[in-house]
Amino acid sequence: MFSNLSAVMQRKHRKRRNEFMSSNNNKTFPVRGIRSRMFTVTIFVFLAIFVVGAALLIVADALYVDADAVHTVLTDSNIRHALWMSVWTSCTTVTISLVFAVPIGYALSRYRFFGHALVDTIVDLPIVFPPLVAGLTLLVFFSQTHIGRWIQDMGLEFVFQPKGIVLCQFVVSASFAIRSAKSTFDDVDRRLENVALTLGCTHWGSFFYVSLPLALHGIIAGGILTWARAFGIFGPLMIFVGSFRGRTEVLPTTIYLEQSIGHLEVALAVALLLISVAGLALVSIRLLGGRAMLKL
Amino acid sequence: MIRTKQLTYEIGDFQLKEANFQLGHGEYFALLGPPGAGKSIFLECLCGLRRPLSGKIFLDGRDVTRLEPRRRKIGYVPQDYALFPHLTVERNIQFGLRRRGFARLEINQRVIETAERLGIRKLLGRSINGLSGGERQRVALGRALVLEPKVLLLDEPVSALDESTRETVCGDLRRLQQQLNLTIIHVSHNLEEAFSVADRAGILRGGVFQQVGMMDELLRRPVSEFVARFMRCENILTGRLTGLSERGPFSVVRVDEVDFLMPEILRGGTVKFVVRPENIVVSRSAEQEGAGQGDSEQDGAVKMVIPVKCVRAADRGAYVRLVLEAAGLRLIAHVSHQSFTELPIPSGVPHGRGGDLCAVIRPQNVKVITEEK
Repeated sequence: MFSNLSAVMQRKHRKRRNEFMSSNNNKTFPVRGIRSRMFTVTIFVFLAIFVVGAALLIVADALYVDADAVHTVLTDSNIRHALWMSVWTSCTTVTISLVFAVPIGYALSRYRFFGHALVDTIVDLPIVFPPLVAGLTLLVFFSQTHIGRWIQDMGLEFVFQPKGIVLCQFVVSASFAIRSAKSTFDDVDRRLENVALTLGCTHWGSFFYVSLPLALHGIIAGGILTWARAFGIFGPLMIFVGSFRGRTEVLPTTIYLEQSIGHLEVALAVALLLISVAGLALVSIRLLGGRAMLKL
Repeated sequence: MIRTKQLTYEIGDFQLKEANFQLGHGEYFALLGPPGAGKSIFLECLCGLRRPLSGKIFLDGRDVTRLEPRRRKIGYVPQDYALFPHLTVERNIQFGLRRRGFARLEINQRVIETAERLGIRKLLGRSINGLSGGERQRVALGRALVLEPKVLLLDEPVSALDESTRETVCGDLRRLQQQLNLTIIHVSHNLEEAFSVADRAGILRGGVFQQVGMMDELLRRPVSEFVARFMRCENILTGRLTGLSERGPFSVVRVDEVDFLMPEILRGGTVKFVVRPENIVVSRSAEQEGAGQGDSEQDGAVKMVIPVKCVRAADRGAYVRLVLEAAGLRLIAHVSHQSFTELPIPSGVPHGRGGDLCAVIRPQNVKVITEEK
């Protein structure tokens, strides 16, 4: 079984490498003079500054961290719990976000209705307002409004509860999934759906057999953005669910708590752990998802 | 077979106006018209992708106006084919059969049968991305044909192909239509393409059917100036009715200084008429055809003989296009290479003015046209 999986991975890798080579081969560029070469050099200088800068920051963190801090991070049950909380809440958030993003993105892409522009703006709002505002708004809604209190009284408690982490992450990051789904559905030729209708599909059929498979890479890309955003949020969580050790603590709040009590090395070690987990997840998705990453 | 009654559709500024149209079983119909005439919209109304504002669509006598596209049994091949890029050729062709719940055995049998008929069996395992234009067209055709539709709608099926492939594909389409006795509506803005496939044609302009008829009828007897121009009739003339001819039941219409005989008795002052370039016979000189300008009855049939000079001659491959001038009037004639070599036109033409010639036109080849719709 593993040899089969390995063969599949190798084939995928070969195919991607060939695609990369064919799209980036020097032969595909026009004949270039000195000014054109200078253009290429200029854009690569900016790329290099950014990448080297980011790498330097991580290296500086790593150099500051000592063996005791690493040991603490690996053995502390609270930090392990925070890591687990970060992973499951962000994954749940992505799942819920995609469940909402696919129909909302399709509706915004395919239908023109009264208030379309307003709805479009509301969907984008969480992208532009500071995440802190989301936490504050949720806190006010669930503690100060009748509907919010009624929801809490019905047993759906969010304030200072682990469920609140998912809600908070969803509010802050679902817009990325919706925006990505909408732009991907925009790219799917509507005539393909129309042809599917004439070939015997209902609207459900044309969506599930034509539009969704064609939009899948873009939707996965939106999921990656959502996950990255959900995994890293801190401010709104501090306001809405607090940072109770072993209960509502996630990795970003661990970093804050550790540095606030003077354990800077441990905070940086947790930060490196967070970067490693995020990097590992992105690399895995890149290997498994293929073209999804190209949409980012 | 398929009939529309007062079909009306509106989108933005465009309106398809009360289209009445009928097509018999096994007919190959060409829907012609300039870009923006509403040809694709009309097809989309027929297959249910657009909901008409009013009017009815009947298929085999049954009203299908409010039926979903999947229930109409109408095959549709859109412009650029709209093949599903995430599926292989085989999966594309299978698509409709699978969605309609056919058994696997029957799906395979029908797909192979269709692929063999269209000569694409070896492509079945391939991805859509690597196919040529002609191959894509065949796959799209196969995808529609495998469902055995009652009517097949082809929206500019060969416009994306090069000239030589287009001719082959048009021939194949016609052969396929005859083999399977298919009813086809083929949208095009290309006249040669329509002539190579269709029995009948309709010309659409601004959402209105200008004329529907046999190809020959559209060519020889256009009802309006637009149809005449679309059918590439270059001699569209306007004159004044001067009276009746003494030679028979003909009206005489004067254009500048030249008299034309109309094949019918007309009333009213101004008359617009067309003469197809290939219906003008060009002879050596007016003297050899009889008298000067006027009517001739040498072989029993009444003919108009107009003294002309050749202004320009251009070789168009299958024929020579002559620009003739007569008393300020300009006529276009198409003559064969054989006839052209017999004419006393100096080798200097097209750069100089040719010698004395005469244009001979039979009144039967003159068609009076009406006002635009």
